[in-house]
Amino acid sequence: MKADGVLFHAKYAFMPNSLGYCGPDEKGQIQRDLEGGRSDEELVQTLQKFEAAYPFLKLIAKSAGRQVFEYSVPEAYWIGNRLLDMVPVSDFYSFSHREIKGRDPKKVREAFRELGGAAPPHHTFYVMSTYATTAVPDGPNVTNEARGKIAEVVDNCRISWGTVRKVEKGELKVEVRPVGVEDGGLLLNRPAVKRVRYNPEVNPFGAVKGGDIVSIHWNYACDILTPRQAKNIARYTDADMKLVNRLLKSEGSRK
Amino acid sequence: MCVTRAGKVVSASQGRARVEFFDGRALDDVDVSVVNAKKGAFVEVFGNLALGVLSPAEAKRRKQAWAEVVKAMEAVRE
Repeated sequence: MKADGVLFHAKYAFMPNSLGYCGPDEKGQIQRDLEGGRSDEELVQTLQKFEAAYPFLKLIAKSAGRQVFEYSVPEAYWIGNRLLDMVPVSDFYSFSHREIKGRDPKKVREAFRELGGAAPPHHTFYVMSTYATTAVPDGPNVTNEARGKIAEVVDNCRISWGTVRKVEKGELKVEVRPVGVEDGGLLLNRPAVKRVRYNPEVNPFGAVKGGDIVSIHWNYACDILTPRQAKNIARYTDADMKLVNRLLKSEGSRK
Repeated sequence: MCVTRAGKVVSASQGRARVEFFDGRALDDVDVSVVNAKKGAFVEVFGNLALGVLSPAEAKRRKQAWAEVVKAMEAVRE
């Protein structure tokens, strides 16, 4: 077990779990362990109960010959790094049918047919492709209001990032580029400042300052990114979005 | 991360609903306005937003699929 990878993963899993959107009911354990900097077996067992995130880590780890909680593995999944390139498309294809039960198998087949080996086991791709693999978004009755709601949920669920402009008690003002929906495709809108929660008890947020680049999940600052990570998340997000837009375009052309 | 979860709308009012998922959990404040789901409908929910409505047959299939996931995850943990 790699302690730093466990805590890294927990930082990103924490907020959607606390909102009740995924993972087990762990009664505050993840937050306590993050605040205490503990990465014991109990935390590992909790993180193994996440229905989608943990299988993704296993897939990446197996393909790259790494341990599941080695830092680079959850980093590949949440942020993006070269380990994603090591996952064979055939493995990701069968994984997508076997492990991701919430998706329509027909839509999954169509997505792989369109994207081939370009589809990455990256969290943002998973989130954005949800937009392309559900029935509603391209429907004829989608209003502007609905489009806004879909963009908001995609933006909240993907890992976004931004530059800290102001540090306040329990909140950061962060300059971000939120996801928008335009002409049936996804894009990153112009920069805007949003309020994001953070926990100063969780390392390294005791020392967060203006100019830091932070990652964000469901309006919660997960981590302060290194320059390499900031570059990677921008690069992988851009690639994910282009793939999903390709998918949306091909779906549109079939209608 | 969020998973797309399927469940049943057990109460709904003004575009918000309580949804009971096939995994045994529930959310009280799901936005069902995009799909205009009413009480008794089966929906697929991403985060706190319902993105699709399922037919009863598809809902049954999802329920069975979820049972398989639970079984597989229990096997992993053992």
